[in-house]
Amino acid sequence: MAQATKGKLNFRCPSCFMRDIDIDMFFDGEKKEYYCLRCGFTGSEADVLRLNEAARYRYRAMRLRVVDFGEDNQPVKFEAHRGGEQ
Amino acid sequence: MENKFIVNIIHRPELSPEYAEKALGKGEGVRDESLDIFRFQQDTAHKYGLKTTIQITYASLFSDIIIDLAKREHEQYGDEIGLSLLGLPCPEFKAKYKTEDFCIWMFEEETKREIIDDVFGKFYEKFGFYPESTSSYFLDAYTINYIKEKYPSVKCAVATCWEEGPKAYHTCNNSWYTFMDGGPWNPWIPSKVNSHCPASSEEDDSGIVAIPHLSRDLMACFDGNGSNFGTHPQNVLRGMIYYGDEGEWEYPYLYNLIDQYRHLAKYNDGYSYNMMFVGPGWLNRRGRWEAPYELLAKSYDDGMKYYGKLKSEGKLIDMTMSEFADFYRECHKDYSRGECALWKDILYGSRKEYFWYADPAMRTCLDFNQGGAMIDLRPYIARIPQQTGIGTENVYDASYPYLIQINYRAGYFTHYAGAGTIKSCKVSCRGESADLCLCRTMAVYEKTDGGVRLTADPVTVTLGGLDIVIKSVFTILEGTGEVITERIIVNDLGGEQVTFEEYFTGGFGTTEYQADMTHISLGVDNERMQYSYFGRRIVREGAERAYVNIPEVHTRIEMGGDCDELQVEEGIAFSPVYHLALRKTVSEGGIKTWLRLRKAN
Repeated sequence: MAQATKGKLNFRCPSCFMRDIDIDMFFDGEKKEYYCLRCGFTGSEADVLRLNEAARYRYRAMRLRVVDFGEDNQPVKFEAHRGGEQ
Repeated sequence: MENKFIVNIIHRPELSPEYAEKALGKGEGVRDESLDIFRFQQDTAHKYGLKTTIQITYASLFSDIIIDLAKREHEQYGDEIGLSLLGLPCPEFKAKYKTEDFCIWMFEEETKREIIDDVFGKFYEKFGFYPESTSSYFLDAYTINYIKEKYPSVKCAVATCWEEGPKAYHTCNNSWYTFMDGGPWNPWIPSKVNSHCPASSEEDDSGIVAIPHLSRDLMACFDGNGSNFGTHPQNVLRGMIYYGDEGEWEYPYLYNLIDQYRHLAKYNDGYSYNMMFVGPGWLNRRGRWEAPYELLAKSYDDGMKYYGKLKSEGKLIDMTMSEFADFYRECHKDYSRGECALWKDILYGSRKEYFWYADPAMRTCLDFNQGGAMIDLRPYIARIPQQTGIGTENVYDASYPYLIQINYRAGYFTHYAGAGTIKSCKVSCRGESADLCLCRTMAVYEKTDGGVRLTADPVTVTLGGLDIVIKSVFTILEGTGEVITERIIVNDLGGEQVTFEEYFTGGFGTTEYQADMTHISLGVDNERMQYSYFGRRIVREGAERAYVNIPEVHTRIEMGGDCDELQVEEGIAFSPVYHLALRKTVSEGGIKTWLRLRKAN
C-alpha cells in the first residue's frame, strides 16, 4: 500500500483526546480508515465525529449561559443558551 | 472604585509561520495567507470599535506592506505598534543566527542580547521610535532586565502563559517544551530576580507591567490542557467546547469565561482584566484539526463582537498594552496587594470553587471542594534566581517550583501506600478519623486590614456516631508569606474530646517527578535531621515551630500555633515527600495555626 496521509480535515484521535492528548491521525486509503500512531484506535470519519461528540460528555455546562455568578458561597446560576445570542 | 474591566487585544503578523511553511512550502503563498490573517484580525477588531496592539515580528520588519499597514492603523484607530519576540523564525533570522530555535528565553545569554538588539534596532530603523511594549510566551528576568536597561521606553510585556508546563507538554504528545508553570494568571509587576514573582518593592520592580498570554480558566487549566480553556476562541474549539445548533456553531463557554474574569473585580478593588492574543496559525484556511476555517473565523469574530458589545454597554475599556501599563500602575500603588480570584466551575457543571491568590511572597490555591485544602503553593518569597536557556541549568524549564501541586503529586491520597502533596486537617474522635479534604463546601471572601480572609461554610464530620460541625477560616497576610488557619467547632460536643491535626505534606519541583531530597533538613525547634528516606519522625510537645529547609528552592517552611504537639516526618523512597503536623485535643473551641514561608540559603 502507499503511505498514509492526513485526511481532508486534520482529525485528532478521539481516544487520545479523551485522555488529554492531541495527536493527529493518519488516513489509510486502502482500508478507508483513520488510525492513531499512539494508541490502537481506528475508525471511519463517522466514527471520529461520533466519538468527538461523546468526548463532550464531561462539559455539562457547555450549552448554558451564566446569568449570575451568585454570592461567593453559592453556585453559579445558569440558563439555557439561546443560539445566536451572546 | 467603580468597576473597570480592561481588555487588551493583540495581533502579531507572522509572515513565515512554521505551520504554513509545512503545509504550503516556502514562498509567496505563505506570505499572502499570513498577511490576510493579520488583516482579518485587525479588521474584525476595528469592526466592533476596538483598538489593538500590533506586535510586530522580526519577519514583518522586512515587509513594507506590514509596516505601512501598522502605521496607517495606528493613525486611524489608535492601535499601538509594539515589538514581539515571538515569530522570530523567518529566512532572514535563520540565515543570520543559524538555528531552528525560536523561543527567546531558550537562547544563551549572548544570543539573547544579540537578538534583542537586532530586533529593537530594526524596529527603530523602520518606525523611527522604540516600542513601549513587547511580548513572548515567556520572558525571564534576565531578558526583561536587559530590555528595560537598553530600551527604557518598554513598559508592558506579555511575559507568561498561565500553567503552561507539563500539562501542555503531555497534551502535545510530549513534544511542546513550554514549561512556564507557576506564574500569576493576571497582570503583575515582575521582580528583577525572577519574572514569575510579583515585585515586592520599588527596588525589586523590573520597570514593566507583565501580562499573561491569554486569560485562562483557573479551574479547567489547573487540571487539563491549558490551551483548551482560555479567552482564545480557537482554544475553546481545540477543547471541543462548542456545538451545532440549527446550522450555527455555539460556544457560550467563551462568553461565560470572559464574564467570570469580569466578576473578579469583586475581589480586586473593582479592577478586572482580560486579553486576547491569537497567533495566525489558528486562523489558517486549511482549518485546525477538525475545525474548518469558517468555524475558526466565526469564533474570532464572535469573540471580538462580544468585547464590542460590552464596550458599547459601558462595561469594558479597551486599551493598548502601554495604556494598560499606565492604568495598572495607577491602581496598584501597593506592591504587597494580593491578586485574588474566587473561581467557580463554569464548564463541568459542578459546585467546585477555588480561591487563587498571588502576591510578592506566594502563589497559592485553596480548593473548597476539598474543605479549603491548599492544593498549590509557590514560594515567591524565595525569589529563586532561575536563569533559563542554553548554558544554564534550565535550558527549557522556566517553571517556578511548587511546594504543593496536587495534580502532579497526588494530593489527598487514595492509594494504599504513599502520600500526596496537600495541606489540610485531620479530625479524630472515638477512635475514628476523617480528613476535611472529603468535606465539600464553598466560601466567602473578605478583604481585611493587610490581607484577605476566606471563611468556609461549616461542614459536618461524623466520627463514631458523633457529629462535629467545623468551620474553617483562612487568613492570608499580604506580602508576608504567612497563612493563618483556624478550625473552629461550632456545635456542642457535650464534653467529648476531638483531636485536630493540621498538616502539610510537601515536595518540590516543576514536574511530576521528585528530585533528590537528601539536601532537605527537617526539625522541631532545636532538634533536626537530614532527609534520608527512612520515614523517621521528630515529635515534640509544647514546642514553638516545626520546619523544613529545602536548599534547591531556597525555601524554609515553618508551622506553629496554638497546639499541643508538633511533628516533622521524612518520607520513604516510595513516597518522596515531607510532612509537618500540628496536633491539639479539645472539647470546644478549635485549633489556630500558622504557616510561614521564608527565604532560605
